[in-house]
Amino acid sequence: MSGSGKKAVGAPAGGVVEWISTACRFATDRNDFRRNLLVNLGLFAAGVWVARNLSDFDLMSPQPIT
Amino acid sequence: MGSVLAATPPPPTPSPGGGGVLGGTGLLSVPPGFSMPPVSPVPPPTSPGQAAGESASPPSNPGTYEECHRKCKEVFPMQMEGVRLVVNKGLSNHFQVSHTITLSSMADSGYRFGATYVGTQQTGPAESFPVLVGDMDNSGSLNAQVIHQLTRTVRSKIAIQTQHHKFVNWQCDMEYRGGNFTSAVTLGNPDILIGSGIIVAHYLQSISPALALGGELVYHRRPGEEGAVTSLIGRYTGSNYVATLTLGGAGAHASYYHRANDQLQLGVEFEGSTQTRETAVSFGYQLDLAKANLLFKGSVDSNLVMGAVLEKKLQPLPLSLALGAFLNQKKNTFQCGFNVTVG
Repeated sequence: MSGSGKKAVGAPAGGVVEWISTACRFATDRNDFRRNLLVNLGLFAAGVWVARNLSDFDLMSPQPIT
Repeated sequence: MGSVLAATPPPPTPSPGGGGVLGGTGLLSVPPGFSMPPVSPVPPPTSPGQAAGESASPPSNPGTYEECHRKCKEVFPMQMEGVRLVVNKGLSNHFQVSHTITLSSMADSGYRFGATYVGTQQTGPAESFPVLVGDMDNSGSLNAQVIHQLTRTVRSKIAIQTQHHKFVNWQCDMEYRGGNFTSAVTLGNPDILIGSGIIVAHYLQSISPALALGGELVYHRRPGEEGAVTSLIGRYTGSNYVATLTLGGAGAHASYYHRANDQLQLGVEFEGSTQTRETAVSFGYQLDLAKANLLFKGSVDSNLVMGAVLEKKLQPLPLSLALGAFLNQKKNTFQCGFNVTVG
């Protein structure tokens, strides 16, 4: 009984580990079209955020006196 | 002041295979030599009571289909390689010639002679028709365009490209600008004898002063083969930004242009192709320091290609210098270029 219980506990843990390893393989597979699409969509969204929020500075403003 | 290089027609490159798919319109490849010279758009006809209420004003003409992504693309630096000397000389108010000497280790070096004629039919403060633009290199290859405003709302263009005494590309298009829409039809490389050609139709409609929607249909035919590709486009214009999205059977193209202030403009671009199963993102910025007569453009993309172009006008001389460099980390290549423009 205890042996089958350990097996039952081990099975979900093994499934989680397998899921994590699949996700890591997906995230690092540069030849996968879906992975590249998701990464580039995320980069596009990040670029839009940077353009909208981090671009309000004046290059010709006088330098602060230290 | 903007980019000096943008004021000149883009240098045409010879088509390697001779003929090709017409485009420059989002997702298809374009035969070289078919780019428009910078001509400002026709102002839409305004009704007498339109100036009274701006908030309730009807949508105006949305511009052309090709211009939707242009604002973002102009932020990115142009790839330069080798040395180029350009001398522009205006012979009269209507006629200008240019001499271009190119020295390059990757492309052909040579000399190009260009001429531009602008007619006397004035339709706007800085716009006259017809416009004839042509240039020829030392091997006799010719690129020529004729643009004419037929009526107040109809504009036509004819473009021809020859290479080594043979016609490589020829196209004709008509554009109609209504009050709140633009439609255009382009006929590319028609050959009645063998029954081949390309037809491109564009339509862009202003839904509101900020939103424009449109579509493109490309039909190509040659002996034993024919096909059509469609795509849809949507553009939203804010107070200081423009967001554009093109979706079609060949893929997707999204661009975001942001004008932070008078000096800084940014652009982000996403391109994805279902045919090549590739996607790419590019981020570019443009710094325009008018007080210093300096223009700097930089870009980086997801393929680890970094590029920058620095343009400096040497006032009071009619001279401008441009330095450019592109680095491709993946392919381990580096290109740099130096341009001098006189006049």
